[in-house]
Amino acid sequence: MSLLGESLVRTDAAGKLTGEARYTVDYDGKDLLHGSLLRSPVPAGLIKAIDTTVAESLPGVWCVVTAGDVPDTRAGWVLREQPLFARKQLRFEGEPIAGVVADTPEQAKAAVAAIELDIVETQALGDMDTALAEGAPLVHPEWKSYQPASGEDYPRHGNIASELVANSDDVDVAFETADLIVEDEFTSNRQYQAYIEPKSAVGIYRDGRYIIHTGHQYPFNVRDRVAQYLDVRPSQIRVIGHSIGGGFGAKLDTGLEPYAAVLSRYAGGRPVKLVNTRTEDMLICPSRENAVIKIRSALDKQGKLLGRELVCHMDNGAYSGEMAFMPSVIFHLAGSVYRVSNIRVIARLVYTNTAPTGAMRGVSGVYFCAFQERHMDHIADELGIDRREYRLQNLNESGDTLLNGQVLDDADLLRKGFEKMEKVVPWSQLNKHKRPWHGIGICAGTWITNSMPGSAQLKLNEDGTVTVITAATDNGSGAVSMGVTQIVAEHFGLAADEIIVTMPDTDVAGYDGGSQGSRTTHIVGRAAGIAAVELKGMIFDVAAGMLEAGRDDLEMVDGRVGVVGYPDSRISLGDIAMAATWSRGPLSASGSYTSEPVPFNPGCASGMLFPYFPTPTYHIHIAEVEVNPVTGNVRVVRYVVVQEVGRVINPAGVRGQVQGAVTQGIGHVLYESLRIKDARYLERSLEAYRLPLALDIPEVEVITMEHPHPLGPFGAKGVGEPAIILAPATIACAVSDAIGKPFNKIPITPEDVLEAIVEKEKQR
Amino acid sequence: MELTFKVNGRTQHLELEGHETLLDILRNELSLTGTKEGCREGECGACTVLVNGRAVDSCIYAAMAAHDADVKTVEGLAKNGRLNSLQTAFAESGGVQCGFCTPGFLMMLTALLNKCPKPDRGQVRDALSGNICRCTGYTQIEEAVERCLEEGTIE
Repeated sequence: MSLLGESLVRTDAAGKLTGEARYTVDYDGKDLLHGSLLRSPVPAGLIKAIDTTVAESLPGVWCVVTAGDVPDTRAGWVLREQPLFARKQLRFEGEPIAGVVADTPEQAKAAVAAIELDIVETQALGDMDTALAEGAPLVHPEWKSYQPASGEDYPRHGNIASELVANSDDVDVAFETADLIVEDEFTSNRQYQAYIEPKSAVGIYRDGRYIIHTGHQYPFNVRDRVAQYLDVRPSQIRVIGHSIGGGFGAKLDTGLEPYAAVLSRYAGGRPVKLVNTRTEDMLICPSRENAVIKIRSALDKQGKLLGRELVCHMDNGAYSGEMAFMPSVIFHLAGSVYRVSNIRVIARLVYTNTAPTGAMRGVSGVYFCAFQERHMDHIADELGIDRREYRLQNLNESGDTLLNGQVLDDADLLRKGFEKMEKVVPWSQLNKHKRPWHGIGICAGTWITNSMPGSAQLKLNEDGTVTVITAATDNGSGAVSMGVTQIVAEHFGLAADEIIVTMPDTDVAGYDGGSQGSRTTHIVGRAAGIAAVELKGMIFDVAAGMLEAGRDDLEMVDGRVGVVGYPDSRISLGDIAMAATWSRGPLSASGSYTSEPVPFNPGCASGMLFPYFPTPTYHIHIAEVEVNPVTGNVRVVRYVVVQEVGRVINPAGVRGQVQGAVTQGIGHVLYESLRIKDARYLERSLEAYRLPLALDIPEVEVITMEHPHPLGPFGAKGVGEPAIILAPATIACAVSDAIGKPFNKIPITPEDVLEAIVEKEKQR
Repeated sequence: MELTFKVNGRTQHLELEGHETLLDILRNELSLTGTKEGCREGECGACTVLVNGRAVDSCIYAAMAAHDADVKTVEGLAKNGRLNSLQTAFAESGGVQCGFCTPGFLMMLTALLNKCPKPDRGQVRDALSGNICRCTGYTQIEEAVERCLEEGTIE
């Protein structure tokens, strides 16, 4: 029986349901010591002196480590700009200054509090306008000396950390000849990933190497970053994975790992555990960035997009992490759904003295799509055209290109998605049933399947089961515990519980690009599939000898190999494995995969660090909301998703990803916000940061659209992120529709809603 | 101060200073690490355990307040390695993703089902108002309760 399309239970469910699963915070041992970090109390300042004498003398303290004790290095995913401990300049509230190791967490915290710090506070750049103002101080006065982590340098200057500029020749002509010009400005605030397991890590210095235990989305990135910080070769770092208590992008770059590693060295090699308090975690978390976008569209009488100008400012915070890639994401998305010929895009990443921002599920695409879709509604209103109809008129089709020249082979799926949605939720019916304080939205979007490389080694065990050795991480999505597991099981006709997948270990498994960009099932599933085909070949070779049959006459059915047409001849994989092990040696095979590069035009923009949009998927969402005119609360009463997935491996898994992603999108657009005042976060606890609860969330109706990808494992593409890409967009459009006023900001709070209602009343 | 209480049916005697939380005692003294700490302020519900059948946030619950009490944690749900009906329903419904909040949800729902054996969706949602799940979007957790009720036997 095929396992594809079966809602099998994830293989790690039992451990997670009994409390047996081990997360990093559960790491324990007789020799375990505890670390804590002194973090900058100011958003900007200069360290005059640090006195650790008292701290070192406190009971239970093993060591106090500051910048003077570690190599004078700078590390970074894209740009090497961040020191391990601040040496002189302090660039954001929460930046590490010193680390302490003690017998207990309480002793470590007491010692941190006893470090005497002499600092001079300087002007903090709390927002992008201040940072871009003429004469503003530089967050990194030494920015020119910074080196990229690899490859060539890229456009950046002063407080601009990364800049993409694309200018087609005829943009100005388009605006001069336009019949209608529509302009909008949008703002979006920061969103905290709010995984329930705070960041944590255990470091062990042993035999001259650093061993790090961490529940991390991207263990090889930890390896490489720690190596940068500590100025050692990456192979000197071993990263061992654990169950991950949620990540959503925040656990893609290092958090506490390099500190745990170096503190263990100073504590005589004893294991040192660091766990963020929730407040620390919120202070330093690489939240989804706040952004401001100005969009201007030139249109003819029919609403054809003649040209568009788009300026996007994204808040980088004090250090870049992976954010330097994000201006490219804005650029690609700007041409991904609707046809537009002449476009000018300026996307800037701006340094501020705030916590570094970073990846959160769907990265910059989430707010970009919200703004693009709100802008489309605005244009449709100006033209007096139905919003759905206006989108259909301008959709990209197969063969159209992105702004980088990349051909979209299957963009027809956008129109097919609208048709599929129409069958389930006829737009005219929704419009017919509109009532006061009730709004609807319909939006379209595309998203990537990240192409980063992955690998898997498969070994046939002597009992006929298969072990998959991979550094792929299951951040909770099921990409490994359902996706990769089911894909491998399918190749051999084994049951899912006959497939054993290792936890990540950078000493053991090949490189893996981490659980990001909806890539794991697609990339690692494919890599494991390649290995499976090779391993099956070896199995057939051995079986052919055992059965005295031709190799080409054999078939594998339900984990047994026999001669085609002779079911009685079948022998088990266990018997084949035993025979192989004791005759030619144990059987194993490896597979690696990364998406094939897509042809694009490198001259289309400057600063395009992420040059193309790999393996796109296509999506349509509809939302129905009700607004309470007394409280300003918005209730999402119906939410329908048409999601193109390539091929469904596990329907319950897909549904869980869509439901969870829409929920995070509802949170982003209606409740969640890390607000900044005087360069400091106002929200510093889960009590202050409003997350979606069971009472807030409707059951999302999920309609999958299968369009198998020729290179995906059994056709599968990315699933984890796309549903968050459109959720804020669709709800923002629905709320605007309900009130008859545009909402061009994220989040839309009850206060915003009430204010809009009051304004609307005044206009009457 | 001496704390004597039952945890998952076993009597425990511990010498405490008095300021310890129930969560710290369970995790650090009894190695029952299934109960998780997510916020240490009673907001996220990951640390939910039962004290005499009532669900409490163990991160803000004084351990000494559990003196003579019957405490149940997630480790007390399965019997001899066999998941109970609620745990099984969670697995089959897709109610688990990263799993970090799961022990808290299981204990909160165990308390609900003890008090109200046939809750409707609204009652389930109300009961879960103090438990945050960042992965699932809640629906498959709510369906797990319904699946468990369909099976009939609540353990």
